[in-house]
Amino acid sequence: MAYYGQQQAYRPPAPAGVDQNFLWNVFQRVDKDRSGEVSAVELQQALANGTWTPFNPETVRLMIGMFDRDNSGTVNFQEFASLWKYVTDWQNCFRSYDRDGSGAIDKNELKMALTSFGYRLSDRFYEILVKKFDRQGRGNIPFDDFIQCCVVLQTLTSAFRGFDTDQDGIINIGYEQFLNLVFSLKS
Amino acid sequence: MASPYQGYGQTPLHAQSGQVPPGGYGQPAYGGIPGQNPYGAQPGGQYGAAYGGAMPGYVGPAGGYGAPGGVPQSLGGYGGAPPGIDPQVYQWFMSVDQDRSGRITAHELQQALINSNWSHFNPETCRLMIGMFDRDQTGTIELHEFQALWNYIQQWKGVFESVDINRSGSIEAQELQTAWQSMGYNLSYNFVQMVVIKFDIQSRRCLTLDNFIQACVMLKSLTDMFRQRDTSMQGQIRISYEDFMIMAISNKP
Repeated sequence: MAYYGQQQAYRPPAPAGVDQNFLWNVFQRVDKDRSGEVSAVELQQALANGTWTPFNPETVRLMIGMFDRDNSGTVNFQEFASLWKYVTDWQNCFRSYDRDGSGAIDKNELKMALTSFGYRLSDRFYEILVKKFDRQGRGNIPFDDFIQCCVVLQTLTSAFRGFDTDQDGIINIGYEQFLNLVFSLKS
Repeated sequence: MASPYQGYGQTPLHAQSGQVPPGGYGQPAYGGIPGQNPYGAQPGGQYGAAYGGAMPGYVGPAGGYGAPGGVPQSLGGYGGAPPGIDPQVYQWFMSVDQDRSGRITAHELQQALINSNWSHFNPETCRLMIGMFDRDQTGTIELHEFQALWNYIQQWKGVFESVDINRSGSIEAQELQTAWQSMGYNLSYNFVQMVVIKFDIQSRRCLTLDNFIQACVMLKSLTDMFRQRDTSMQGQIRISYEDFMIMAISNKP
């Protein structure tokens, strides 16, 4: 048995169908320069994390990178629709753990969320995790950083799984391989 | 791509495979000279004694690049610098510590650090640098920690300038590889190239001083953590999921 979560469980629940007309309206409002493509800057201005602070630019770049299939650094309407669905899914997930509706989740709520995705990690790990993603030093993680946190955990876990061919939760890894993994997390 | 059995940096094995990246590989690689430290920080090298404390040979705020901005030439009324603190560093600290708390935050640091193109340092690099010295986890550093940080910044700046031969204020993959080699880290061109592509968010295929510093801090602390676990110095470690996640998350960019 593996010591880490099940891959399919990391994904937030599938959304209900999104109205294309609604999305097209949103896209046109976000695409301020009417280029037919949404840039990281335009996307950042359009996203709200519920705490009146600008959406984390790293999270924006991370998401553009995930959905920008033609590597243009921007997303077209099709790509935007996928991205929008992705953000909405994460938002629903986030809200279900942000019990007090504060727009941020604390260490225990984060642990609960990630445990429900299948991760089995120690309290010490969660302390480090919160410290690392809590950019404001408030002891909790707002929505934009939460997305980034989940994507990073998913990336690292699937990399680990790639090395863990015998599924015993322990891997051998070389110096540059390891460096490569961590440096690749930059978004 | 690096073989899984490769040691730190360019091993003879790597060289035999004919994949030696271009560039000056005159330095002894891992396994070259007995007693050579494969991970960087070569004995007697520039960075050998540097990490982990105040170091001799403070370079001074020379030259145009990345010099901390907004340093007043004279700051009356603050008195002299405490023992062990460079007067220039003291003045600088006082000008950065805008709220006079005796401690500076990543935000205050960011206000004061500029790249050669006059852009402010990116916030991630500032947080990372504060994190290097913030032993009590307050998100701030005091004067002595700042002095130590300043020494690092001067060193990194020195390395950066020495490889940025055309004085463009940014360095390309080849130059980054040379820079890291001069610091004792022998890393493949593929890896270095990936770092440049990832860290250059403006997609110009080159790094400004702040990005360079961020990559150096990461490289140093990841190497230190890796080395601690690599007791037999094979360039390979055996690691559990939890430990792996802690190492990666603690050092993530």
